[in-house]
Amino acid sequence: MNTVPETLHVPADAPQRNIHSRGNRFASWQEHHRWSAASSLRRLASRPFGSLLTIAVMGLALALPLAFYLLLGNVQQLGRALGQSQAISVFLQPGRTASQAQLLAQQLGDRPEVAAVVVKTPQQGMDELAQMQGFSGALQTLDDNPLPYVLQLQPRAGVSALALEQMVADVRTLRSVDLVQDSGSWRQRLDALLGVGNRVVLVLASLLALAALLVVGNTIRVDIASRSEEIGVLLLVGASGAFVRRPYLYAGIWYGLFSGILAALLAVLIELALATPVAQLSQAYDGKLQVGGLPPWLLLAVPLVAAALGWLGARLVSAWQLRKAV
Amino acid sequence: MIHFDQVSKRYEGGHEALSQLSFEVPTGEMAFVTGHSGAGKSTLLKLLGLIERPSHGVISVDGRSLAKIRHSGIPKWRRHVGMVFQDHRLLLDRSVFANVELPLAIGGIARAERARRVRAALEKVGLLAYERQLPATLSTGEQQRVGIARAIVARPALLIADEPTGNLDPQLAVEIMGLFGEFQQVGTTVLIASHDLPLIKRMKKRVIVLDHGRLVADLAAQEVL
Repeated sequence: MNTVPETLHVPADAPQRNIHSRGNRFASWQEHHRWSAASSLRRLASRPFGSLLTIAVMGLALALPLAFYLLLGNVQQLGRALGQSQAISVFLQPGRTASQAQLLAQQLGDRPEVAAVVVKTPQQGMDELAQMQGFSGALQTLDDNPLPYVLQLQPRAGVSALALEQMVADVRTLRSVDLVQDSGSWRQRLDALLGVGNRVVLVLASLLALAALLVVGNTIRVDIASRSEEIGVLLLVGASGAFVRRPYLYAGIWYGLFSGILAALLAVLIELALATPVAQLSQAYDGKLQVGGLPPWLLLAVPLVAAALGWLGARLVSAWQLRKAV
Repeated sequence: MIHFDQVSKRYEGGHEALSQLSFEVPTGEMAFVTGHSGAGKSTLLKLLGLIERPSHGVISVDGRSLAKIRHSGIPKWRRHVGMVFQDHRLLLDRSVFANVELPLAIGGIARAERARRVRAALEKVGLLAYERQLPATLSTGEQQRVGIARAIVARPALLIADEPTGNLDPQLAVEIMGLFGEFQQVGTTVLIASHDLPLIKRMKKRVIVLDHGRLVADLAAQEVL
């Protein structure tokens, strides 16, 4: 203890350019990032119960809007499928001939809103009625077939309710048309409901993202409070706010990332759970109903967005907490 | 040079810890600040470490007014000031090496240079063999020496110590004070707050005596009996 080592003989104000170079500082900054990332991960692992609880709460909060998104997507598919099965029936004036019916079918088939047109003759209509229980006897009393030609219009997929409504209005004005039966109002109601559903998912996603932010923020707040002594020491020996904050920001990122992965996994599980009943429903609609899963980009984006949320929560809380420190 | 000009510090609640204090400590000098409990010794050191700000007056170090250092500039200032505390303020979950390395890691010093300097500082305080140990496994005196190694490792221009020998036995206290004397010899300005008068007399350095926040005596080294 009596000899002064050579390194300590250097005066305090001696030039230190060689060791304080920008390259050294950058390397040191990188090193501290690596250390902060690793040490914050170790801290999470050192209290597994608390960490898992936080991740589970955040994961569930993030999985809920994903589940709603999935549900809404499938309801939209269902709506389209039901829309396809709800053809528009155009009853022609009695006495119209087969060639007139075919001509009108061709005209209507050329419209962009129409996917296909099926012409039903009066005889086909009579045959369908005859198959219905209780009608066969009544039909035998008729001298002539009173049924008109009927054109069944199949709306093209993706056409809006408004466009279909406009088309139906146009068809009603045609001279050869007696009556048009349309399920447009039903489609319109479904579209409106899906619009509300979309908005609900958006609001819910925002609220639950805020909840996730608060969960991370509170966890980091407790962590900072429990390490206030250490933070005080770091500040006293010249640590900047960014240096002190860094491990907590990484902790926020880890919480977010893991909860995002959990949310994506839960969403996939929900998707798998829905697959069988939706497939059964699809069969009921001649396979027209497609099972709509979450797109892969969304499943990848969820952990990244959640990590960003975790970082933001930690950033806000640590800035606020450290302002109160020495 | 440390320059205090009519410096007062009044805490919230009205307690005046320092009152119109004026003195100078030339660069490279070692001086003790003494006085009874509540005399203002710790407050004086806190003002130098920018842990507190004065209510009135001007403090300058090497011609630089501390009042001009903004909040964002405090970390950089503290990297130029080595601080030793009575309660050591060590990070108990990090090794002795990691504790001493802190100011260098914060200052962005390259890893190899950090290791060299940390070992030099630990050798200086006689704890090189303990570098891998946790502070809790060391005695109070050894912990204090770790604190001193941490304070001097970044070669600060100014070293301030608040009751650094408060918990130590007399023999160890003399050894620690001897260490501070050695840092002064290599050009560091050393300011030590202590109420251990026998030890102060033994060191034969300048003594600034405070009482209720006021300067009551400023004794040169040769005046200390």
